[in-house]
Amino acid sequence: MSDASTGQKFENPVTVTIDGRAIVAEKGDMLLQVALDNGIEIPHYCYHPKLSIDGSCRMCQVKTGAPKLAIACNTPVVDGMEVDTQSEDVAKARRGVMELLLINHPLDCPICDQAGECYLQDYSYGYGREEARTASPRRKGLKRHPIGPRVVFDQERCILCRRCVRFTNEISKTDELAVFGAGDHSHIGTAPGAPLDNAYSVNTADICPVGALLSSDFHHKRRVWFLEETQSVCPSCSKGCNVKLGMFKNEIQRLVPRRNDDVNETWMCDHGRLNYAFAQDETRARDAVVRGEAANGSSPVVSTDDALKEASAKIRATIDAHGANAVGILGSGALTNEEQYHLAALARDAVGTSNLDVIVPTGEADGFLIQAEKVANARGAREMGVSPGESGKDVAGMLAAAAAGEIKLLYVIGSNALAEAVEADALQAAMDNVDTLIVQDTNVGPWADKATIVLPGQVWAEKDGTFTNHQGRVQRVRRAMSPTEGSYCDGGLFTRLGALLGGKDPAGARFDARATLAEISEKVSGYEGMSFERLGSLGVVLGEAAPASAPAETEEGSAPAEPA
Amino acid sequence: MTAEPAVVAPVLPAALRERIVAEFPKYPEKRAVLLSALHFVQDTFEGWIPQAVVPEVAALLGLKPIDVWEVIHFYAMFNSEPVGRCHLRVCTNLSCCLRGARGIMRRLEETLAVRPGEVTPDGNFSVGEVECLGSCGTAPVIQVNNERYREGLSEDDLPGLLDELRTRLAEQDAAKDEE
Ligand code: SF4
Ligand code: SF4
Ligand code: FES
Ligand code: FES
Repeated sequence: MSDASTGQKFENPVTVTIDGRAIVAEKGDMLLQVALDNGIEIPHYCYHPKLSIDGSCRMCQVKTGAPKLAIACNTPVVDGMEVDTQSEDVAKARRGVMELLLINHPLDCPICDQAGECYLQDYSYGYGREEARTASPRRKGLKRHPIGPRVVFDQERCILCRRCVRFTNEISKTDELAVFGAGDHSHIGTAPGAPLDNAYSVNTADICPVGALLSSDFHHKRRVWFLEETQSVCPSCSKGCNVKLGMFKNEIQRLVPRRNDDVNETWMCDHGRLNYAFAQDETRARDAVVRGEAANGSSPVVSTDDALKEASAKIRATIDAHGANAVGILGSGALTNEEQYHLAALARDAVGTSNLDVIVPTGEADGFLIQAEKVANARGAREMGVSPGESGKDVAGMLAAAAAGEIKLLYVIGSNALAEAVEADALQAAMDNVDTLIVQDTNVGPWADKATIVLPGQVWAEKDGTFTNHQGRVQRVRRAMSPTEGSYCDGGLFTRLGALLGGKDPAGARFDARATLAEISEKVSGYEGMSFERLGSLGVVLGEAAPASAPAETEEGSAPAEPA
Repeated sequence: MTAEPAVVAPVLPAALRERIVAEFPKYPEKRAVLLSALHFVQDTFEGWIPQAVVPEVAALLGLKPIDVWEVIHFYAMFNSEPVGRCHLRVCTNLSCCLRGARGIMRRLEETLAVRPGEVTPDGNFSVGEVECLGSCGTAPVIQVNNERYREGLSEDDLPGLLDELRTRLAEQDAAKDEE
């Protein structure tokens, strides 16, 4: 049997009536979750779908026909249950809970980062009383206390829902937090010498329903109602955690996780969350550069179009003098599938080299979210063909060949990833010996400084496209930031360079992510049926996008392929 | 991701460790011994629980250190900071407050010149506020160390109580000197 409204299937279906509406649910599921799944709001604080049930806040009380009100978060549904979430005694119970929670609350919303996304505020408006009936002084507690290196704690605002405690017990499994003291003296704390410091610590700030735990990075940075949010994925490892980018005036203010039960549930790691400064700080490579005799003396900064012409000329000269396999192309796992597709085409068709591979920086994996590949789209790169062709060389092979003088020109995309991907000596030897180094990068670094030609790339937040995560889930990357005027995304650089090498006008070689994905869906196995609309907000696993399977989801927050 | 069990350098004296282990058969599971174990620790370490023993007590009982900390802080009878030889716990929950506990607390702080968390320079006295001691009918209530409650107190009873405690401490000192 399935519920007509949600299309869900149940093994032991039961029918409950909530506020007069008959709802089919799985026997034994908790009433609160059933209500939420069906769009019925029951206010709650301590309940969290990914944590064990606490039943401590009492905000979710409803009338079920039992002699007393029941907490919906811990009441399993049974067949024929009649639930009233709107009766006067339910309203009274909620008012009572709100009143007790607010007795000691500092009400410092004007200086609280949570304001605007605070359940205490929302429920107070929705279910509380307008005025306090007590005038006694409020309990004092720690303010702006660094409970860990990345989380700030405000003890006065805490409502003791224990979500954060359960998170450290059940999700991070690091056990830093506990409730100390009893009664009126109860408070969240850490053991002496053991601060809240784990790879996932800032998630506690996300799940804290009030402003008691806050991200230090976001502390007092921006009122949340000024943020424009764009759904995307984290670029920092091959997990591809689903995120929202909070933007203000074209700057990333924060990354927060977005629920995707098949990928990151509702969490993300601290590293991924905080690794966004590179997108907007002074290390961004914004200018195209041509050095050496081609720079015509004075400033090496040139227009991107001129740098592309120069790159094309150098590549052409290398091919003419030494053959196409004297060109080695090291690709980046940070680019979208659509860009990777054009890079593979550029190498194969326009340059004709089989020396093509993707640079994959690697590090520790932790068996939970964090993956060893420290870049989002290495898998997509390989699947789009960014890998050695017939008897072509891989990354290490190309570096060795460059050091040996067989490869004369290296075209490196994302050169800053090399440090974590290859052996330092081999890298240095290759770079010292190669005749021409072309670096295409989003940020300056040692190799961009040394390169004959630098082509400025764009970061993930400036692009529309897709990434394929380590599980083979294809997910949407959405433009949240406007790129520098006149710059091209990496895909646009590839199409233009390809045109130049083919003797065509680069102006006619605009990159179009949507059209490229359409082409990929026809040509690359596993990607059949993939389109921005089909991927929706949660992505689709390879091979599962075939048109017949499910209705298209609506496309949100999409931006045009490239500024005209 | 799970933290490695901390390697714990032993700080519990052997006799104390044995005393804790001897409790195991009395309870259905090891962790139930925690309250007794913490009392024994306080007996051994002059009325308080030094931070350094916590990991070892936890390991002995198959618990995580944070569990032990939670229990230490939950119960007013456990002290995580040094206390005086006589530690006075003043209940400041509702019933006691309605019957004058605030005044008692203030008087004690003035007379002994200590604030909660401090110890008198001679090491004899400390005071602390605690939650309901479960004796609301005889409020206000004070407990000295782990002794019987002093019930139905008024501020005027305090000089007598302190004299009694001072006399007792003097006697203990005298007995020690004789040894
Ligand atoms: S700090 Fe936040 S999440 Fe933790 S108990 Fe308090 S209100 Fe709940
Ligand atoms: S686990 Fe990987 S994808 Fe997820 S937040 Fe961390 S770095 Fe980003
Ligand atoms: S959500 Fe049900 S008791 Fe807190
Ligand atoms: S309030 Fe003091 S003993 Fe209960």
